[in-house]
Amino acid sequence: MSFRAPIAVLLAGLAFAGCRKPGREVVVYLSIDQPFTEPILREYEQRSGVKVRAVFDTEETKSTGVLNRIVAEAGSPQADLFWSGDPVRPSVLVKKGLVLPYASPSAADVPAEYRAADGSWSGGAARARLLLVNTKRVRQDQLPRSVRDLADPRWKGQTAIANPLYGTTTMHVAALAEAWGDDGLKRFLTQLKSNGVRIASSNGEVKRLVASGEVAFGLADTDDAAEASKEGAPVLAVYPDQGGMGTLVMPTAVVLVKGPHPEEAKKLADYLLSVPAEERLVELASHMPLRPEVKAPPGVRRAGEFTVMKVDYGKVADAMQRLQPWLREWAGL
Amino acid sequence: MGRSLATRWEQPAVFALAAAVFAAVALLPMLSLGGELLRGDALSHAARALSAPRTWKLFAASLGFAGAVTAIALVIGVPLGFVLGRSDLPGRRLALWLHAFPVFLPPFLLALGWFHLLGRGGLLGSEVTARALFSPAGAVLILALGLTPIVTALVAIALQAVDPSLEEAALLAGGPWRTATRILVPLVRPAVALGALVVFALAFSEMGVPSFLRVGLYPGMVFSRLGGVDYAPGEAFALALPLFGVALLLLAFERAAAGRRSFAVLGARSREVPALRLGRWRVAATLLAWSGAVIPLAPLAALALRATRGGGFSRIGPSLGSSVGNSLTASISAAGAVLILAIVIGHAAARGRRPALALDALAVLAFLTPATVLGVGLIATWNRPATQAIYGSGAIVAVAFAARYGAIGVRAAAVSFAQGSVHLEEAAAVCGAGFVRRLARILVPMHARGLAAAFLLALVFCLRDLETAVLLYPAGEEPLTVRIFTFEANGSEAVVAALSCVQVAVTAAALLAGSVLLFRRRS
Repeated sequence: MSFRAPIAVLLAGLAFAGCRKPGREVVVYLSIDQPFTEPILREYEQRSGVKVRAVFDTEETKSTGVLNRIVAEAGSPQADLFWSGDPVRPSVLVKKGLVLPYASPSAADVPAEYRAADGSWSGGAARARLLLVNTKRVRQDQLPRSVRDLADPRWKGQTAIANPLYGTTTMHVAALAEAWGDDGLKRFLTQLKSNGVRIASSNGEVKRLVASGEVAFGLADTDDAAEASKEGAPVLAVYPDQGGMGTLVMPTAVVLVKGPHPEEAKKLADYLLSVPAEERLVELASHMPLRPEVKAPPGVRRAGEFTVMKVDYGKVADAMQRLQPWLREWAGL
Repeated sequence: MGRSLATRWEQPAVFALAAAVFAAVALLPMLSLGGELLRGDALSHAARALSAPRTWKLFAASLGFAGAVTAIALVIGVPLGFVLGRSDLPGRRLALWLHAFPVFLPPFLLALGWFHLLGRGGLLGSEVTARALFSPAGAVLILALGLTPIVTALVAIALQAVDPSLEEAALLAGGPWRTATRILVPLVRPAVALGALVVFALAFSEMGVPSFLRVGLYPGMVFSRLGGVDYAPGEAFALALPLFGVALLLLAFERAAAGRRSFAVLGARSREVPALRLGRWRVAATLLAWSGAVIPLAPLAALALRATRGGGFSRIGPSLGSSVGNSLTASISAAGAVLILAIVIGHAAARGRRPALALDALAVLAFLTPATVLGVGLIATWNRPATQAIYGSGAIVAVAFAARYGAIGVRAAAVSFAQGSVHLEEAAAVCGAGFVRRLARILVPMHARGLAAAFLLALVFCLRDLETAVLLYPAGEEPLTVRIFTFEANGSEAVVAALSCVQVAVTAAALLAGSVLLFRRRS
């Protein structure tokens, strides 16, 4: 039998694998969902003529996979910019000296509480942490109102949260530790466990569990709720703790890291922090706008329209790292 | 004199080169990670993690999980291998292909399909099926169904290789049942052992299915030291050490079970072997065979239905990007590199050379190491200014695939070489042909089919990979499996299902093209 043709294909493949066209480019690592951010990056490519090469986080390693990849690659950095789903994880990079502070002129009109004074991160359109409820399983008069309802024995075995080791749930539990103290948080999480809460691999899976009715309600983000609604699932978003500590809000964060294309990275940061980019993220990902001139999409509230949980993102970052060993034990890992 | 000296040293030199390349690809990453253990207080953290009771509790749970998966795979796979490999069942070749197909797909994709089928909102779903699905038993069953074809196929191929004269002699004295149990079963024992080894190993290191179905197991614990905020690669490596212990035990078990025939159990014979007559077992065997062929395809049908109903195919374009091309480029390159290494190392292994057997053990170790651990080691090894041509391009994915799936190529090539006679090689050597010439003129042409099968196997395993590539793919060049996984986070379910269907189609096309090439008649 002749294997010349396959061998030619093979050699072509080997040659092709190592080749890339030269030209202007910028490398961005993201922990914001790919379906929402990829169109914005493609639009920037078209406007600027600069090739944007992206690494997206996966469902399982949400928010942490690319962060750790930046740490692992520190010896010979590849990424120029980290577009994070929250402002807390970038603090890990700040502490390791991997961040290039940059106060983008585009972010000058972003409210001060949503950007770092030292330019280490600048905030964009935000998400809120909410209770996603299946309306076929929960009557209107039984709606949960607080994250503490996850530990209510009435809902034993009928709720879900994402694994707090990964994703936005990590930041959320750290924020709760800041609000309640470490012991208060640990008591709460222990109660959750004895109440049979399902530990999903991600917020997206919490959404699937709630949408399909596997559980009555769960903790997720505004974009998960919007996606479930778009798919026609019988769900309702409840902004928790409106009579108390408020709902946690997490702005997205643009962070320059010490990569090989710093000037291109600054231009991309300026674009991602601009009003048109915020509008696109709000439109595509149902995020909450931070600037008054950006319209909120239907069903999405602005930060000023509900009680927002007061957090110091720096302290939350410290709590997040401090809690890791205990959380691993809690998660059984 | 000079010529004979060169000829004498040719084989060791070529082998040393292949060994050095494979060691750079598979061994250096592990050594790099081992070095992480010496940084700061990583060693004391690692000692604490390894002495924690929950570490060993999860380890035991993983052993039980992999044991259960293997037991089910053997119970289903061995009889199915007999029926599909040698019986007179009508359409058995088609049934074997259908049955085997899911093994070439990423296990998380099968779990996603089962979710669309048996989850509470699934096509056949109810509260009971959902509860069963999201349980340790559900995870065991799903993974067992996905991995059983490995046992089935190995048994079927081994049966093809049994010398028909042994069977004919047995049939003279006893019936088909006694022939099957007394003659054929002992003869296929090495294939069963190899099947058990591969299934156990894959089940033990699998993370996607258990984590999707929320079953906490040991690989998840290793991953938590890499995926969490307090990134600790040294500790992850320490936690992977017990996995290496299991890998070495498995290797020892397989070599003991297969004895000296470790690589010689699977070669296909050129002549047709007569089918075993099923007689009164025909109805039961037909039911078993076609259930085995159809049931594992059910999750794929569920994915296709989900994609069609949600209009996933019409919206797939932007989500697909260049991922199919990226997958094929990296996989073809890696399978090619694996083939070249496998020809040299597999040949030496088939001839029982100790250094080759050590490299085979290294390859198996790299295959069983949690992909995330191997991935971090690969970053530490290759992300240097001097090696940016590799790390900064798609070549790093090919290198990672070659490290992880080298074992498949080496094993498959060794099996093929073990079937051939050494006399032809010896005759050529006596006439002065050097090793490279013997390879090019005799060994490779003679074993072209077996080597093409090794390439094909390595290719489809690279195509199905998620966990190795996801950690180090170059920016903007993600393979299709990674794209499916990243789109799972808030992508439309129908589009994710449609992307999964594309993965199925690409794999099927690769297998089909390979089969046409492998089984076409000589002109």
